[in-house]
Amino acid sequence: MSKDNIIVGLEIGTSKVCVVVGESKPDNSVKVLGVGQAPSRGVRKGEIVDFETASKCVHDALVDAEEKSDVMIRSVYVGITGAHIASFNNRGSVTVAEDQEGIEERDFEQVRTNAREVSIPSQNAFIHSVLQHYYVDGQDGILNPIGMMGRKLEADFHIVHGITTRIKNTIRCVKEIPLEVEDVVFNPLAAAQVVLTQDQKNLGALMIDIGGGVTDYVVYVDGAVKESGVLGIGGDHITNDISLGLRIPMAKSEKLKIEEGSVILGNCLPGDVIMLKDDSGFAGKEIERETLNTIIHLRVREILELLKRTLEVENHLDFLGAGIFITGGCSLLKGIDHLTEELFGMPVHVTHAQTMSGLTSAFENPQFSTAIGLIKYAQALHSDKRGGWLERLRTKFPRFFLF
Amino acid sequence: MIELNRLTTPASGLDIKIKIIGIGGAGSNVLDRLVLDGVGDADIVAMNTDVQSLTGSVARDKVQLGRNATRGLGAGGDPEIGLAAAEEAVEEIRGALEGSTMIFLCVGLGGGTGSGAAALIAQTAKERGALAVVFATLPFSFEGKRRRRQAEDALAALQEAADVVICFENDRMGEAMSPKAGIHQAFVNADQTISQSVKAVCGLLRRTGLIHLGFDDLATALRNNDARCLFGFGEGDGDNRAHDALALALKNPLMDRGRMLADAANVLVSIAGGQDMTLNEVQVLMEELNRHIGDNAQILFGAAVDAKMGSRMSVSIISSVVAGGSPPIARERTRPAPATVTAPEAEEEEPEQASFGMEEEEPVEEPALQPRIPAAVSKGTSPAVTGPLPSKTPVERQASLSFEPATRGRFEKSEPTIIDGEDLDVPTFLRRHIKVK
Repeated sequence: MSKDNIIVGLEIGTSKVCVVVGESKPDNSVKVLGVGQAPSRGVRKGEIVDFETASKCVHDALVDAEEKSDVMIRSVYVGITGAHIASFNNRGSVTVAEDQEGIEERDFEQVRTNAREVSIPSQNAFIHSVLQHYYVDGQDGILNPIGMMGRKLEADFHIVHGITTRIKNTIRCVKEIPLEVEDVVFNPLAAAQVVLTQDQKNLGALMIDIGGGVTDYVVYVDGAVKESGVLGIGGDHITNDISLGLRIPMAKSEKLKIEEGSVILGNCLPGDVIMLKDDSGFAGKEIERETLNTIIHLRVREILELLKRTLEVENHLDFLGAGIFITGGCSLLKGIDHLTEELFGMPVHVTHAQTMSGLTSAFENPQFSTAIGLIKYAQALHSDKRGGWLERLRTKFPRFFLF
Repeated sequence: MIELNRLTTPASGLDIKIKIIGIGGAGSNVLDRLVLDGVGDADIVAMNTDVQSLTGSVARDKVQLGRNATRGLGAGGDPEIGLAAAEEAVEEIRGALEGSTMIFLCVGLGGGTGSGAAALIAQTAKERGALAVVFATLPFSFEGKRRRRQAEDALAALQEAADVVICFENDRMGEAMSPKAGIHQAFVNADQTISQSVKAVCGLLRRTGLIHLGFDDLATALRNNDARCLFGFGEGDGDNRAHDALALALKNPLMDRGRMLADAANVLVSIAGGQDMTLNEVQVLMEELNRHIGDNAQILFGAAVDAKMGSRMSVSIISSVVAGGSPPIARERTRPAPATVTAPEAEEEEPEQASFGMEEEEPVEEPALQPRIPAAVSKGTSPAVTGPLPSKTPVERQASLSFEPATRGRFEKSEPTIIDGEDLDVPTFLRRHIKVK
């Protein structure tokens, strides 16, 4: 197996650090060879707050992945997230030179550069500019403008940017391992690569990745990214709420959330209690199930309502033909699909990485969607280098320029 | 002789002569079930228009209704025919009821025989000076609206005629079944629930308890006309038997998952156990049950020691609420009406009333949420908390949230997530002022 074909994705999440080793197949599929993970510490809301601890966790996960996949890992694609990341859509335009026969590739590059000529806060840097649509002389629906005749080339881009220093922190953390960073990818864009199929993207879909620290989302309409972003609320908040509400330690709350929690209300007997066994430092306690579910329900509902409000601003919700896809660790919460359906009024699927082969147990777990998405994303970049126009138009992202 | 043998003093239970009568097809199914489960020494009588079903019944005494009207066939789902059949056999019915002081009627409403004959039989029983307790089932909703209407008419007539009507809704019993269970299992389950309650009521009236419950208590618990009956029975064994028994009782589909208890005005609780039942166990059980019951509800409490129970402990809960737990009743029960409290039980209720301390009064509701949520949530989990706050107004209680609204827990030191001016790291339930304890 040649080294070139190995792609490694690293996600430094709030609850776990996860390394996925994949092999890129000639037919553009990806085979998952192994998944390494370590419980994450020193990360809050998707961002590193304790550098050394986080570094150690990344190291642990890496060793685990190397053992499991039997591959020496030298370089990785790193997923990033955090509430500081923002996005917007912008149109770039370029006038094609008079003497030119048709639109050339450099015009396209020029359009991309132009699209970025907008003011973002000085501390921020661009992470992605994802192509949405072309217009040649104002004509809509052009799939591939290169070679076409026209005087004016325009293109819509979805631009993602975030605070430079914070992104650099993540990169530094990985580089100290030491590991090469091939590229950094905004988490939801990576996850969407494997969670959503092309059909779903064309029909219009909203992917919500509710992770440990943050909730990432991305909206696809007509096959293009229309909106993406991060809410700084996630599973940790649910655990924290439980801990404060029931006055039990965080570790117990986390366990309770995973094993017993549900977002559906009014489904329990009033006397339905969960017995928490006592152990050192913790006196046993009875927890009323409905109380637990209420705490979870209120928080999850709030996250979803907030998301809905955010998405309603741009009015994308009316164009989601395929519905909503929930992934990430919190998608495992019982009843979350019903609640989402109730709030958004459209079909909701709890889903995980789809178009993969290899370790079934890995990609069927929604917790790994982002990490697996990273290798799929990277593979798309790779195949792009080999040509394939449509692939390229869909997934061409610029190399990250921070390093 | 200094020792007073308490178990033999109240002889009231011994002279109650109970007869259990199954009317119609559903009724005789219940009888079969009862015989399987064993009902002690009660007499069992089957009454039906359908001879075939009658011959198949395990009951020793059988009464064929409508020898001429139906000629041994069923009533064909027509209550008129059922009534005519019963009128025809009224002398035989009288004969069958002879000599009993209490009549239990098991009947499935909605069909012909049950809906038509039950009220007449109940009336006949009452004319003979016996108390009539009816265990009626309402049909599944899939059986159609007409059947439902017939059942409701019959139920109304029964409520007039009988002393006590305990009404079971098949739909709700179906809810408790796993979706994969066979239809046979569903019906068996319904029969089992009824048989259980017949036995429980039987036991309740016969057992001579330490704290005795009588027929008057039963009548009080089920007093509301047009009421839905709540019934739960549970039995437990082992170390945690008190808790297990109660949990099982509350799981009964007729308790509507225990929620309805909050609206009940009178709740009858009967605890039975073997010789080794401890006061502590009873206390634990009652404390736990109290969490489900509204502040002003009257508890009719009975406890009995029955050597036959061995190491087991059982609890039966019987109550009724007006369908939907409507406000007028809630108003009425702010002060348990003294006129309706049956005299002999006055001393029994006292200890129970004292142990109440639940804060259940209208909690502040978030308009976006269903009204059920806060009510269900506000049932306290720890009895220690409930002690000190028995007589405060709802407003004061709401203010007594024990922590600062600014609690951020593990996010104390991290960058706050502030959206629309709200610090989202603070638990949602705190920001929305929803009480979770």
